Amino acid sequence: MMAAVLEIDDINGRSLQQISAQGKVSPMLCYQCQKCTSGCPVASRADLKPHQVVRLVQMEQSDEVLSSRFIWECTSCHTCATRCPQKIDIASINDALRVRSKASAKVVPGTAVPTFNDLFLSAIRKRGRIHELSLMAAFKLHTMRLLADFDKLPMMIFKRKLPLIGSHVGQRREREAMFLRARRGEM
Amino acid sequence: MNYVFFPGCSLDGTAKDFYLSTLAVASKLDLDLPELKDWICCGSTAAHSSDPLLADALPAQNLSNAKGKTVAVACAACYSRLKTANSRISGDPAIRAKVAQVIGNNYDGHTPVMHFLELLSRDVGRSRIAKAVCRPLSGLRVACYYGCLLSRPPEITGFDDAENPTLMDQLIEAIGATPVDWPHKTECCGASFSISDTSIVLRLSNEILSMAKAAGVDCIATACPLCQLNLDMRQKDIEAEYSKSYNLPVLYFTQLLGLALGCSAAELSLRSLMVTPEPVLSRLGLQG
Repeated sequence: MMAAVLEIDDINGRSLQQISAQGKVSPMLCYQCQKCTSGCPVASRADLKPHQVVRLVQMEQSDEVLSSRFIWECTSCHTCATRCPQKIDIASINDALRVRSKASAKVVPGTAVPTFNDLFLSAIRKRGRIHELSLMAAFKLHTMRLLADFDKLPMMIFKRKLPLIGSHVGQRREREAMFLRARRGEM
Repeated sequence: MNYVFFPGCSLDGTAKDFYLSTLAVASKLDLDLPELKDWICCGSTAAHSSDPLLADALPAQNLSNAKGKTVAVACAACYSRLKTANSRISGDPAIRAKVAQVIGNNYDGHTPVMHFLELLSRDVGRSRIAKAVCRPLSGLRVACYYGCLLSRPPEITGFDDAENPTLMDQLIEAIGATPVDWPHKTECCGASFSISDTSIVLRLSNEILSMAKAAGVDCIATACPLCQLNLDMRQKDIEAEYSKSYNLPVLYFTQLLGLALGCSAAELSLRSLMVTPEPVLSRLGLQG
């Protein structure tokens, strides 16, 4: 799309600004001081920097924001939000953008983070808790990164860092129902 | 004070040593930390970056089960999620109502949540801990590493100064060791990208290890399972990637406390550490 064109994202009738404000501080208060970017641990490698994301949200440039690598590389460290002189919660804005990016099928190719998140939540739904070894195995199978970190497994098992069997919590049926209610009640 | 302990998933696996050393320290200080019955995962980063309602509901389900007791947490990530959910639920009636529908319980967001560092500093007190020390860690230079989620966002965690927290430093001082000033106390290690985007972790954790090394410390002390895993288990990869040599042990602060309070190496599961602290500890005559 042409960068100069203002595109109002109207999925679910809500603009980028609306999903980003979430009833708290409006992203419109940003005056581009770049304090967020100065402290951001991934700004130097990302395709967008935090202050640029906020500016693009102000301008409703949804394609640029929702298909950026940045939103998936943000570590949720909250340095940006902590230091923002206007108290804009950039880290939470980013969470909202990830949700929107996935819902509107704009996730940048090459990131495995959404897959990891899905597997993580599905493990909670089924078992109630995360069993790290099972989660790692599922992630490897889904992403075909079969050999990544394979060298560490024997030592981690020897050091008792990866129990072969994880603890379970009962009440799976109740939990599945809870997840379903959460999906229906999406905020 | 009545506590109930929320260990979280990491303490059930890769951070078993954090679990064991937390309980060992509690026992030395006569603290009763019964485990929250049937606790479930807090949802972690996966929940807050994909489903905001679930990210509030999972912690709320746990917190409403605490029945008014103070929830003691060791994992910094669980701590952050539980406190964030409390703040959102108690601060917004609409969120509270939605969460109530999901968990089937009108949880009000007021169950107190404390990190074990806060509990030791504020409820137990440094003077009582100092009195219980039977093996002061004299001569041990420690970089106290807080990471992101204890102190940020400060409006929600209320933990300590967001840019220069000192709760851990003060405890480390109370057990006779020397906390050093260093600039990366609250920098991010890459956290949850340990599996899903490892290159971020290697880079950020390298900066932290490099700063700690430059500060001339014997070890790093952490209060978060993800920080510990990234700095310790990935240290060899980081050294290879950046042609560095660190050999810096990364211990949980509870393992250091436990050593000073007279726990054995086995009770603190020191063998679980990838970079062994043995040479440092034996040089100072501090073996468990």
